[in-house]
Amino acid sequence: MSPLSQFRKPRGIRAARTPSGDDEARTPEELTHIDGAALGYRLDPWWWLVVAVAGLIMLLIVVRADPYLNILLFVRDGLLVTVILTLSSFVLIMGVGIVGGLGRISGNRVIRFVASLYVEIVRGIPLLVQLMWWYFAAPVVIQAIGNALDITALAQYRANAIFLAIMGLVVCYGAYMSEIFRAGITSIHRGQMEAARSLGMNYLQSMRYVILPQAMRVVLPPVGNEFIMLLKDTSLVSVVAVADLTRRGREFMAIHFNPIEVWTFIALLYLVMTLFSARLIAWLEKRRGVGAQ
Amino acid sequence: MVEPIIHMEDVHKRFGRVHALRGVHLDVQVGEVVVILGPSGSGKSTLLRCINHLEVHDSGDIVVDGMPLKSAADINAVRREVGMVFQSFNLFGHLTVMDNLTLAQCVVRKRPKDEAKEMALKLLSKVGISEKADAYPGQLSGGQQQRVAIARALAMNPKIMLFDEPTSALDPEMIKEVLDVMQALAVEGMTMVVVSHEMGFARAAASRCIFMDEGQIVEEGPPDGLFLNPEKDRTKVFLSKVLQA
Repeated sequence: MSPLSQFRKPRGIRAARTPSGDDEARTPEELTHIDGAALGYRLDPWWWLVVAVAGLIMLLIVVRADPYLNILLFVRDGLLVTVILTLSSFVLIMGVGIVGGLGRISGNRVIRFVASLYVEIVRGIPLLVQLMWWYFAAPVVIQAIGNALDITALAQYRANAIFLAIMGLVVCYGAYMSEIFRAGITSIHRGQMEAARSLGMNYLQSMRYVILPQAMRVVLPPVGNEFIMLLKDTSLVSVVAVADLTRRGREFMAIHFNPIEVWTFIALLYLVMTLFSARLIAWLEKRRGVGAQ
Repeated sequence: MVEPIIHMEDVHKRFGRVHALRGVHLDVQVGEVVVILGPSGSGKSTLLRCINHLEVHDSGDIVVDGMPLKSAADINAVRREVGMVFQSFNLFGHLTVMDNLTLAQCVVRKRPKDEAKEMALKLLSKVGISEKADAYPGQLSGGQQQRVAIARALAMNPKIMLFDEPTSALDPEMIKEVLDVMQALAVEGMTMVVVSHEMGFARAAASRCIFMDEGQIVEEGPPDGLFLNPEKDRTKVFLSKVLQA
């Protein structure tokens, strides 16, 4: 997509009706639209997959309440932790991404260096190792600092597993998000910034009112992708003492020892969440006219 | 002599090894319409962009409306008084025509939304496209987009308007509608600096024409004098090429 064409594009074009480069393009016979009253928008056919997986979960619960209903009741708090962890991390990741992305293209050499160093270092370390570091090493570091500076609050710091897991996820995904935002911002034609500045807006006003709204449309697909990856990667926190969906599943299996049922069911729960997120993102993209060329 | 609204003295600008402006002196009085001509790469756009600090000059003095650009004074204060129209329009693609016109009024001039809208409608009818207020830039022709861009700049009540090749990206049949708007502005007494090769516009509206080459002002004078009796050889060569085309 050329920078020029992207700001000449009228808003609100609905890509759903034109089979162009979209998922639907591959299955034109499925292009029959279902009235999506809940979302006030014609739903795309892939919603059927969400419905199918959700239906399968329901079916299992009803037809074989033992063990599936038991599993669901047992892991429901973990399900909630997974959802909260994903959403709260994501909000913070977006913030880090915008700041990091702006830092990567800053005219100030020091800011650019710090932002680039952050991205390069964090990208090079596996998420699981980062989560381990935050859970096992960070508290010791904090206590050591507290001891050195004689600050009792820090010296007596006790690890809060959820807080440290969020830190780990935000720091790691923030780096990837910074790169996405950097690409999104630089994809906006520089004339947009020049026009905004010529009208007397300062740098931050120009970013806020002119550049970022347009960059948001560009980055929506990769940001949505990151969201789904984040949702799945939260399962890694199960090894650092967070009682998320995965960890609760393992606990259930340890009691009842039925690995096939437990892990199939857990997989279906993740799947229904990711499929639902994917549809939501696709809907947002269409509503904003992304990819409607 | 009245204080000039734009004063440039010995302005130099380099882009790496390219010496884009080599000691430019230029004074523009209130109400003047100055048209700058010159071959591509002669520094005319750079000169224009230095006036509102889109390019930062390396040495020399630029004073706009009494505000020196080199001092750390708020550059946005200068830009509020200087409207700029670009070759590629640069309308904000995610906003309607109306919002393009009201955004800076509200954000920079702190005008209430109603007042800004009123101003926008007035200007849109002035440039002849009031019916497009709710359209998005991508739905307009190039000529319409450029007229919106002019209206957007005017909405800030600038004292000076800068035009950087405003018709170069337009199809021939749309050039006139933009030039007509510019000419009307000139008649109203707006101070304008225009980089353009539109000889017809220069003859009809310019109070002064400037020929630039290799980062310097080679020759200047009233349009008829410059076009019909250029003194310098470089000007003659350039004009003979442009007028032939």
